[in-house]
Amino acid sequence: MKITLTVNGEEFPLDVEPRRILADVLREDCGLTGTHLGCEHGVCGACTVLVDGEAVRACLMLAVQCDGGSVRTVEGLTGSDGEPSALQRAFSTEHALQCGFCTPGFLMVAAGALEADSTLADHPERVDHIVGSNICRCTGYEPIRRAIMRAAQEQQQATT
Amino acid sequence: MYQWTRREDERLLTGKGRYVADIEVPDRLDAVFVRSKVGHGALRAVDCRAAREVLGVVGAWSAADLMDMPPCAHSAATLQDLPPVPHTVLAKLSSDEAVVGREWPALVKERVRYAGEAVAVVLGEDRYRAEDGAAEVTFQVDPLPAMVTPSAAAADSTLLFEGLSNIALRGEAGKPIEDKVWQDAAAVVEARYRQNLLMPTPMECRTILAVPEGDRLTVWSGHQMPHRLRRELAALLGWSQEQVRVVVPDTGGAFGSKSASFPEFVMVAFLAVKLRRPVRWIEDRLESMLVATRGRGQDQHARLAADADGRLLAYELHIDADVGAYPHLGVGLPMQTAWMATGAYCTPQVHATVRSILTNTMLTYPYRGAGRPEAVIALERSMDTMARRLGIDPAELRRRNFIPPESFPYTTPTGRTYDSGEYARALDLALETVEYDMWRAEQARRRTDPTAKPLGIGLSCYVERSGGEPGGLHEFGSIEVGTDGTITARCGAASSGQSHETVFPPLVAKTLGVDEQRVRLIEGDTDEQPQGLGSFASRTAQVTGAMLQHASQLVIEEAKQRAANLWDLPLEQVEWSDGTVHAAQDGSAAMDISELVKATGPLRVEDRFETGMEFPFGTHVAVAEVDPELGTVQLLKVVTVDDCGVVLNPDIVHAQAFGSALQGIGQALYEAIPYGDNGVPILANGLLDYLLPTYTELPPIEAKDTCTPSPSSPLGAKGAGESGCIGLPAAVVNAVVDALQPADCDLLQMPLTPDVVWRAARAPKLEEAR
Repeated sequence: MKITLTVNGEEFPLDVEPRRILADVLREDCGLTGTHLGCEHGVCGACTVLVDGEAVRACLMLAVQCDGGSVRTVEGLTGSDGEPSALQRAFSTEHALQCGFCTPGFLMVAAGALEADSTLADHPERVDHIVGSNICRCTGYEPIRRAIMRAAQEQQQATT
Repeated sequence: MYQWTRREDERLLTGKGRYVADIEVPDRLDAVFVRSKVGHGALRAVDCRAAREVLGVVGAWSAADLMDMPPCAHSAATLQDLPPVPHTVLAKLSSDEAVVGREWPALVKERVRYAGEAVAVVLGEDRYRAEDGAAEVTFQVDPLPAMVTPSAAAADSTLLFEGLSNIALRGEAGKPIEDKVWQDAAAVVEARYRQNLLMPTPMECRTILAVPEGDRLTVWSGHQMPHRLRRELAALLGWSQEQVRVVVPDTGGAFGSKSASFPEFVMVAFLAVKLRRPVRWIEDRLESMLVATRGRGQDQHARLAADADGRLLAYELHIDADVGAYPHLGVGLPMQTAWMATGAYCTPQVHATVRSILTNTMLTYPYRGAGRPEAVIALERSMDTMARRLGIDPAELRRRNFIPPESFPYTTPTGRTYDSGEYARALDLALETVEYDMWRAEQARRRTDPTAKPLGIGLSCYVERSGGEPGGLHEFGSIEVGTDGTITARCGAASSGQSHETVFPPLVAKTLGVDEQRVRLIEGDTDEQPQGLGSFASRTAQVTGAMLQHASQLVIEEAKQRAANLWDLPLEQVEWSDGTVHAAQDGSAAMDISELVKATGPLRVEDRFETGMEFPFGTHVAVAEVDPELGTVQLLKVVTVDDCGVVLNPDIVHAQAFGSALQGIGQALYEAIPYGDNGVPILANGLLDYLLPTYTELPPIEAKDTCTPSPSSPLGAKGAGESGCIGLPAAVVNAVVDALQPADCDLLQMPLTPDVVWRAARAPKLEEAR
């Protein structure tokens, strides 16, 4: 089936089997291997990407469902100047990753929330929900919470 | 340019990490395994014919198909039969004797011995097609009685291997204790402890990609021991080790579970060579939940005796270990528990016995802590029970029995020689940090208030072992100085998230006195580094760190020698500072190491370096509030004080301590693999049914440390990163016992799920029992 995905601003005309999940198409057809598969049944959240701005498990969505849609992956977080985003910097500063396998999923669910909610820094309980939505086996989560909070505060300061 | 905190961060935070599944190779095939849904039974009539007809399927094989296949030309001619999975006789942690007659086949030949064991393999042009093919493979398993606990299997009423006992190994540490000791003791406490079977659950499951090139095979795998994997794959192919290259790219966690060769690895390497095409296997989570190695799995019986003043007299531990369906490294692993049974105390008599029992579960194997949590949990739970029996504060009971700092090196009755320790200092810091007296007062208040939820405080003073066992306490590596000024360190280690690239170049730079940006690390590649041991047993900082420091010193010696020759000076008149050789008498002759290399030729030093076995320690404290109506446990405060000697990078050690603490809480409160009587894990909803701690379960954890350098390594660094899994589970369970005070402590077996806690809350209390 012929579909078009816009991934990180770039248009991908694709011919995919209807059964192929979005994560496989991003990884194999688009060559964007930053999206990782941790469980393939929607539990761990490692494969989280943004589809039309909304965080989705890319293992639970078929690529054909996203036809004509806009997808953002971890590869799209870095600015056009090549500089890392506030979120990426905060993850590094706070040691919010060790093995790095779950990291793209946490980054994308956080990126979606930061874009949708300019007051995130004022609502720690919303940050708690974001961190609670995915699984990490290395960090114990607290560094991830601190990183998202740091990025939210930086974003808020930049806009006020 | 932005300065990242860790060298690994740039690629891992921008989607440029490279894990095995990310590696694109032309003509690559995906392997999918057809797995038994029965835990124990006789395999009949595997039929792969329909699978071979499926579009995009390149081949499908059962064990019988491969045995019948004529020998192929080329070097695979030796592969007429499917080789078994290599076992290890690593540092006495396994034994050839246990394995004879009980080899682990790469595909089931006649008997299925654990649920999920592979009966056939299908190769497809991609995974979708390979799975299409796997769905067409038919087979039958005639069920046999499944044994999923050590006690069920120990009776030998059904044998896993005809003519051989299910008990694969018996062992002991220490000497038997006379009855009189128990009879004369003022207090004896006795209990049973179940060490729940756990899934290590790295976020990346197991991976392997085998790429044949001429008469060589390059194997990419997320792995902890690339050189071991090379050795084992070469042996099963009948090749020389030089013909196999193992590369470990970014690896998404391991926690002990990625250090072996597995049946799937054997098949992938075998078929890649047979077909002369790249083949890969990317394990999916549901497979991993069935057939990835398990951790823990012991049924213990412990007995502790003390005099009226609380001085320990004797400790006895018997272990019936569930080692799974085939004897592998896990068969000897319970000996680690036996050797570490003495713990932090100068108990004069300690005796530990082990039976490693084969069952119909997937194989038990090292998982973060690997034998030490089981020792700590049994002893530290017994210590709290003893404290209650004697009416002594549990902190005080421990303090009275600690091995004093001046006694080191201290040889325990179970045969370990501890290098160094200041156990009371870690306990004091933990009690102060948690505000022990305040919580004891709050506990007393609640006990007089019938509406208050019960509160308990649990302690655990652990000693662990790092570095490995004798024969495996060394590492290999090299340092090379380029004419462009760059310095390249190589070693046999492999990182699965432990920040080696961030930690080791600064260590080399500091020893040489150069800017750390000049130094880079290459590891996890057997072509780059011909010999190596790998990363396990918390050994990399301790052993590889010491090796790289040693190699740096060899660079200095070599540079001084070259300068002496160049300048025609006696060696003692050449000095080294800040990456530069200079003449001691006359400051005019001076050369940066890279200039020296330009003048005198390439400089590369290689060596092997060995440290002693080391014994990190610490105290963990948990404060738990229990809801007797809901059976829930809320941890109000957790404090971990760890001592791993000299710390190379405090932020990274702290981050690993914190993460391991949550894994330790997972064992205590949440994680377990329930098996049905048919030998099949009851995990119908996948990963949702295996309760990994999420952020919601994270209590307030404060991680601190003390520093008692190790005399067994020139760095003074002991192993780090496993402490939370080792020390914390006992503290958490002790806190719940302390809150509920049941007369029968055996009721509180891990994981302390609401069901377990609710029942214990309704059982007779200690006071009522008296």
